[in-house]
Amino acid sequence: MANDMSALIVFLVAFPLVVSGVLLAVTKGALRNAIVVLACVVVAAASLVTVFAFGNGDAVFFGLPGGLTPGHAILVMEAAIAIFVVVVSLQNGRVLAPIMALAQLGIALYLDLGGHLPEPDPQRLFWFDRLTMVMVLVIGIVGPLICIHALGYMRDYQRSNPRIGGRRTSFFFLLFLFLAAMFGLVVSNDLPLLHVFWEITTLCSFLLIGYTRTKETVGYAFDALNMNLLGGLGFSVAILLLAGQPGGLDLAKLTAGPAAAALLPAIALISLAGITKSAQMPFSSWLLGAMYAPSPTSALLHSSTMVKAGVFLLLRLSPAMAGSAVGTMVAFVGLLTFLFVSIVAVTEQNTKKVLAYSTIGSLGLIVGAAGIGTPELVWVGVMIVIFHAVAKSLLFLVVGTLENRLYTKDMENFDTLLSRMPRVSVLALTGIAGMFIAPFGIVVAKWAAIRAFLEVPGFAGAAFLIIMAFGSSLTIFYWGKLLIKILSMRGIEPYERSVEDRVTRYEWFAETALAVGVIGVTAGLGLISEHVVGPYALTAFSAAPRAFLHLDPAMVIVMLVAVLFLPALALWASRASGYDLADFYTSGRTANAGHLMGAALGGTRTVTLRNYYLEGVIDGALVFRAGTLVCGVILTAMVLFGMVVRA
Amino acid sequence: MSPLVYGLLFVVVAPLFGGLLAGVDRIVSARMQGRVGPPLLQPFYDVGKLFEKETRQVNPVVEPLLLGHLGFMAAAGALVLGGTDLIFIAFVFALAALCLVLAAGSVNSPYSFAGAERELVVLLASEPFFILMLAAICKVTGESTFQGVLASPVLVALQLPGVLLAFLFVATIKLRKSPFDISTSHHPHQELVNGLTSDMSGRLLGYVELAHWYESALLCVFVLLFFNWSVTLGLLAFAIAYGLEVLVDNSTSRAKWQLVLRSTWTVTLLFTGGNVLALFLLAR
Amino acid sequence: MSHVSLFKRSPWILHYDGSSCNGCDIEVLACLTPLYDVERLGVVNTGNPKHADILLVTGSVNERNIEIIQNLHRQMPDPKVVVAVGACACSGGIFARAYNIQGGIDHVIPVDVYVPGCAARPESIIDGVVQGIAALELKHKRSA
Repeated sequence: MANDMSALIVFLVAFPLVVSGVLLAVTKGALRNAIVVLACVVVAAASLVTVFAFGNGDAVFFGLPGGLTPGHAILVMEAAIAIFVVVVSLQNGRVLAPIMALAQLGIALYLDLGGHLPEPDPQRLFWFDRLTMVMVLVIGIVGPLICIHALGYMRDYQRSNPRIGGRRTSFFFLLFLFLAAMFGLVVSNDLPLLHVFWEITTLCSFLLIGYTRTKETVGYAFDALNMNLLGGLGFSVAILLLAGQPGGLDLAKLTAGPAAAALLPAIALISLAGITKSAQMPFSSWLLGAMYAPSPTSALLHSSTMVKAGVFLLLRLSPAMAGSAVGTMVAFVGLLTFLFVSIVAVTEQNTKKVLAYSTIGSLGLIVGAAGIGTPELVWVGVMIVIFHAVAKSLLFLVVGTLENRLYTKDMENFDTLLSRMPRVSVLALTGIAGMFIAPFGIVVAKWAAIRAFLEVPGFAGAAFLIIMAFGSSLTIFYWGKLLIKILSMRGIEPYERSVEDRVTRYEWFAETALAVGVIGVTAGLGLISEHVVGPYALTAFSAAPRAFLHLDPAMVIVMLVAVLFLPALALWASRASGYDLADFYTSGRTANAGHLMGAALGGTRTVTLRNYYLEGVIDGALVFRAGTLVCGVILTAMVLFGMVVRA
Repeated sequence: MSPLVYGLLFVVVAPLFGGLLAGVDRIVSARMQGRVGPPLLQPFYDVGKLFEKETRQVNPVVEPLLLGHLGFMAAAGALVLGGTDLIFIAFVFALAALCLVLAAGSVNSPYSFAGAERELVVLLASEPFFILMLAAICKVTGESTFQGVLASPVLVALQLPGVLLAFLFVATIKLRKSPFDISTSHHPHQELVNGLTSDMSGRLLGYVELAHWYESALLCVFVLLFFNWSVTLGLLAFAIAYGLEVLVDNSTSRAKWQLVLRSTWTVTLLFTGGNVLALFLLAR
Repeated sequence: MSHVSLFKRSPWILHYDGSSCNGCDIEVLACLTPLYDVERLGVVNTGNPKHADILLVTGSVNERNIEIIQNLHRQMPDPKVVVAVGACACSGGIFARAYNIQGGIDHVIPVDVYVPGCAARPESIIDGVVQGIAALELKHKRSA
């Protein structure tokens, strides 16, 4: 089986790489569309075949076919990455990024040429277990769907941004390069190898954020690059520290159980890398800047996969840091981030930014779960990974579609959406329901998290509980506002309805497939928990078998009702005879279905209603800065603590 | 009797309880104002009449959403008595409230919309408390169900005095009593017309009233959780608490939403949070 | 429909002030005070046409409020009745021949009960409401 797996993994990494190279050469739109669709089908099929070959069993380890080892290839890749960063940064007059890139290269050179890097076991280069399986399915199924969506999205995006005409080739090149790196990242067991893939995803993110090459987006791209390189540098230093330890660079061995004190500083540094990648405070600002990238980028890199690489690594480390001060500090960073960004999200009007805050918050929950490190909480973390990947990428794609038709990302402009774009509304509601409506996956996860927090002793337990109670209430507020806007209706003109007809078939396909996926994973909640996530959480902690989620029949019924409530409602309402059933109350003034209202001197005014953003009670910018400061202090303490323990 | 029977019993009995409570409320309020007040069964007459009237909808999503509101509210209570995990209830409870917000917000009338936004604010204000309250009750008793808490040898109210105080405060929001009735004004000629319910006619308003009766009954069940040694004691405590609420209702003017949010969060954080913290620190 | 309707036990009122001198309005509010306590009859002053069964209008109709009165009346769900309170609402009263006055409420919407008086006494207003309830029941039976 190991041989099969090894061939399949090589295919999963190599195939998108080849496709990306081909796409770089293709400039003709029709040909590109055909290649992308075909490649997406192959990637999805290959990841399914890989998962079937794995068969949902216990962990398997394997190497490259023929027992090859990467050898100096890692050094070559590191050097290529560093040179690329240096060249691009200097072209743009930046110095911070090159310094960090060169420092990483220096460490790699020292380790490799100085002979300090232990030879990796050729049969343990890759590690495939149930968590890898989840990640491969997310990357291999959600990823291609987003690429297909991008075919439609980018055509319209180009139309509204004519300056960036010829660069669509590089866009798809980067998407497939990224997919290859992600596959490599989640299967790597050898830390230096993992680090190479890690840095490639950083570069893809950097280039995609700066895609439009305006002054603004280039600035955000460098923000992202700087913060992620800082994490990457931490990772490099951790590799340096671990190189001397026997088996230290073998991720599976490192995370087999609670880490020895000597390993804690390295664990802290790798956690730092995970925290930067998953945009936790104090590094959250890069993900907000990343929202200026085209929407498929946000869906693929900044919600469903790349930021998940950060939490993936932390979930891997969870058994090692459980119970240590490092673990507790990681948990505080994650949960405080969840709380702070939820507060900020309440004051935000830009829908894409609300989605970004919500993403950071969900990742914060996973980080918190990983930091505390009990089987129950790791179960929660992996469940959120799954549900979030499907639901949030759907939402990003829907917002992208809306943005290309309505030329706005402002939540306030989405009102009466159900009348104007009924089918898109149904998809949006499915995504929102998937993200937060009570009995859906994420709330089941929240519930399980609160249950688990009750078992955490002392101050930490109480703090986690209070953070959770407030944070989860805040999410209701910002999702509720968006729902109100989408669900309102008014009488519309035929030309307004025609806007929806311009949505491309690529977008329909990808969004519908993800919406079906949201319902699918919810329906399969019990199965996923019982056969995949539950066993994973238990084996990761070598814990005795036990049931995680006690779902009584009444709960299941309530869930089933709530699962489809909003989407079905919207579907029904959009087909109902129409809006104009009765006029609304305006103190007796004449108001009609088109939202015009009689005003003074015989004139008319359009009724506009604006959501509450809690001005005067919550200052979003201030809260964001406070969160950055608090989490920054905790993070610094964490890294220093690691050093002190070692010394 | 099995928990399932209790759950079904809640669905049948809670509206009767809630309706009678509303009747008593109106009489007591009238007496406080020097009036005689309506008959005890007045709320039932009102709701019965609403179902006889014509119903007009502004937006076709309103009726399904209100049925969702009613259904989830009844389900929340039924699940508590049916022996479902208590912390899970907090989310069902919030979902029910959200359905009402969406029904009112989707209407587009300025009054209804303002009511919906304010209801969202009070939901934001009160939800952390209910999550913490249920979590704290589970923590002190080590149980996770209604039946389990009732059978527990620990008297919850003694362990959670801070949470109980905060409950009195937050219940004002859920019972829609002044000064916290910012989303609906039950009394006439006020700033918001009727807030949330401004554009609901006929049976739509009937659903909202029914759901509110379920909500009152659910709050009573929460009080029973605090006084888990004896149901009689719990009912007595609820009666006293409700009396206080009516007194407050009749002697205060409506607050602004800013004050509601700030004060509720402060109380939740100080009393409930402090109580929970003490619980965790003192636990062996 | 053989059952007794609940309209007589729960008449909800919308009070609209046309071009009233406020004399009748004060008397309408007096009905809610402890002395008369009209809530004994289940009456609620809703202030919202969508909840109301009885439209109680004081004052006469002028050019600017025709639209308002018609809209409020239209927005009340059936069955509904209109009670005109006071001389002005009944006929335009002493303002009947003013340049801006159209006349009584029946000028714009059908009126079911006329309550005379300048200002109308609380007793007679309550009596008018009770007669309005009878009309409400009649309409309900007819439609059922």
